[in-house]
Amino acid sequence: MLKKIFTWWEGATIGTALHSWRNGSKVGSDSLGNIYYEGKKDGRRWVIYAGENDASAVPPEWHSWLHKQIDGLPDDVLPPVRAFEKPGTRNLTGTDAAYRPSGALEKGGQRQAATGDYEAWTPN
Amino acid sequence: MPKVKVDGIEVEVPVGATVMQACEAAGKEIPRFCYHERLTIAGNCRMCLVEVKPGPPKPQASCALPASDGQEITTMSPAVKKAREGVMEFLLINHPLDCPICDQGGECDLQDQAVAYGRGHSRFAENKRAVTEKYMGPVVKTIMTRCIQCTRCVRFAEEVAGVEEIGAIYRGENMQITSYLEGAVTSELSGNVVDLCPVGALVSKPYSFEARPWELSKVPGIDVSDGVGTNIRIDSRLREVMRVVPRISEEVNEEWAHDKTRHMVDGLTRNRLDRPWVRKGGKLQAATWEEAFDAIAKVAKKAGDSVAAVAGDLVDVETMYAAKKLLASLGSNLIEGRQTGLAYDATNIAAVNFNTTIAGIETADAILLVGTNPRWEASLVNTRIRKAVKKGAKVFAIGPEVDLTYPVEWLGNDMSLLAKLPKAAADAMTKAERPAMIVGGSALKVPGGQAASLALVDSLNLIRGDWNGYNVLHTVAARTAGLMLGYALAGGMAALAEKAPKLLFLLGADEADLSPFDKSFKVYVGHHGDKGAHGADVILPGAAYTEKHGIYVNLEGRVQYSERAIFPPGDAREDWSIFRALSAVLGKPLPFDSFGELRTALFAEYPAFAEAGLVRFDWAPPALKAEAIAQGTEVAYPIKDFYLTNPIARSSPTLRRCSAEILHGEDFAEAAE
Repeated sequence: MLKKIFTWWEGATIGTALHSWRNGSKVGSDSLGNIYYEGKKDGRRWVIYAGENDASAVPPEWHSWLHKQIDGLPDDVLPPVRAFEKPGTRNLTGTDAAYRPSGALEKGGQRQAATGDYEAWTPN
Repeated sequence: MPKVKVDGIEVEVPVGATVMQACEAAGKEIPRFCYHERLTIAGNCRMCLVEVKPGPPKPQASCALPASDGQEITTMSPAVKKAREGVMEFLLINHPLDCPICDQGGECDLQDQAVAYGRGHSRFAENKRAVTEKYMGPVVKTIMTRCIQCTRCVRFAEEVAGVEEIGAIYRGENMQITSYLEGAVTSELSGNVVDLCPVGALVSKPYSFEARPWELSKVPGIDVSDGVGTNIRIDSRLREVMRVVPRISEEVNEEWAHDKTRHMVDGLTRNRLDRPWVRKGGKLQAATWEEAFDAIAKVAKKAGDSVAAVAGDLVDVETMYAAKKLLASLGSNLIEGRQTGLAYDATNIAAVNFNTTIAGIETADAILLVGTNPRWEASLVNTRIRKAVKKGAKVFAIGPEVDLTYPVEWLGNDMSLLAKLPKAAADAMTKAERPAMIVGGSALKVPGGQAASLALVDSLNLIRGDWNGYNVLHTVAARTAGLMLGYALAGGMAALAEKAPKLLFLLGADEADLSPFDKSFKVYVGHHGDKGAHGADVILPGAAYTEKHGIYVNLEGRVQYSERAIFPPGDAREDWSIFRALSAVLGKPLPFDSFGELRTALFAEYPAFAEAGLVRFDWAPPALKAEAIAQGTEVAYPIKDFYLTNPIARSSPTLRRCSAEILHGEDFAEAAE
């Protein structure tokens, strides 16, 4: 509870939670646990994140809904998910799971040949 | 001398000059594709059209039209402009628009001239012609659809290289350039067609898709793959040499280079020595410079003046000078450069020099080859001899028969013929105005060979006025400079082995037989891990020829300066600085701290190196004891495999493949893509 009062980087602050409770109606949640609200009177749409407040954690279909690209809920108006569509991921930059090319040290440093490379001689 | 007017400028040209040459003398640029200064005139691209009065009212091909007195030539008129645009449009009809993926892009004559002389667009809506690729061996990649049928490659193969393997078949729009039989082009000069090709039809196979011309830093250098000292331009990107192309040098290589010069460079990134190694308990182990120097210092303390140095084939003057000075400070003068055991008398360098000069051999009218295969030992000397033969020179040869690309009268593989030359040959030589004799290393190896060949100077009267027809053909880049610096002990390597030096420096010496030096502590200073490095006790990594400023002296005694293109890899250092650092560890510091100081000291001691150009050696042949050569003394040429004569070439995958395919007949022919 103390964390909720004094920090702002995870989920809703006290003020936002209060506002969501008073003015918002919960319309749904996505696979990551983010909860989406719509204003009861003004129709504004917002999200309260599960975990870190990171806009890239909103999956594409809910992104469309948030930005009013679609009127109804994603499950109702968007075409069904096709087999080849992968679930959205948040931006992994800066985390251990970030993409690194094969030449990166974390990936073993197996880079392709480049200008200036040479093969050193060894006696064996 | 005809006087002509080019766009109102009056010029006088020599008799026999063409209208194109007259225009150039007047400073006018004439676009061309098929015309090349060093090849015969074909006149088939029609790009060089100009208006000439008097004459027919249509534009004339200036490359094939002789200039005659009183001609008025117009190179800038609207009619000429229209004619060039028309020719360019026709050339582009069947030329693919693949410049973005073409290796010639950026250095393409067709690209440049299309911009300068072409129309901005094409009116051709039909399909373009397509031509199947041809196989032209390991160094030439073909994309024949790009060919504009200038036939430069055909003329080069026929006239300069002397192999009639490239030719044109069919006619008109269907004309194709092909290598007959679709086999590897066996000429050692085949790489030159890449430079000659004005478009991207013939490009370098190892260099394909490697770099763009505008990315490359270009540095003038000297080639070390043979004794000719081909003037080259080293093209590098970042820390790698991407390619080597010849520079124009009328006295040395004209504008040609053989395939070893061009493609040796991909050996520069393989088998490199990039850190010092010290032998501990019979095994070479990686070490630091300090450990390596300490190991040498320990031995040097005990060795005293029992120190020797053997110079390799690729080293520059500065390296040999620094090593010589180091040895001198230790009290030794045991230096030798003729690794393969040659022991000819080198007291007078003129007597072991190519005295006619490389360009001069063209003017000879009778040539006697003694135990030499110039095609492999100095390919660009061979092209000069071929030129002489085309002018009417007769060539006689003693040695095993090989194909030299021109008619040769083989006298037999018997060195005793030197003493009793067949009458026909002797007469032809004495009656000739400019007779020349070329003595190869294999003849000098025969006991008495040098004396017998020098005896012929008088009997054949080879020296007349300012003509000296006695030539020795050295096969390696470091030889003449080595002889000038005194890297020639009486008795050669055998004499060196007899002295049993306790400490032996190998300056990139990879061809020497090291078995007589079993007891010596061997220090290898060089850049490639080859025979010398495997046998060494301490390895000090040095710089290859592209990685240091250096002076080289070619087989005719021409001092040439090479510049550094890139830096040596890893912990390797320039060779002179290795000797300077080692001298400090040994407690006898050499008197130069920088490359500039080294050169100043070198020039003070040997003024000949201070100026680029031909060194004049005074002719004073040594009085050698005549030794009878037994009848039937056969020789074998020193080069067994043209493509693999030095450690850099042996590390190059391209040259290994050339050797396997062209010399050993392995089949690499690829299916057309």
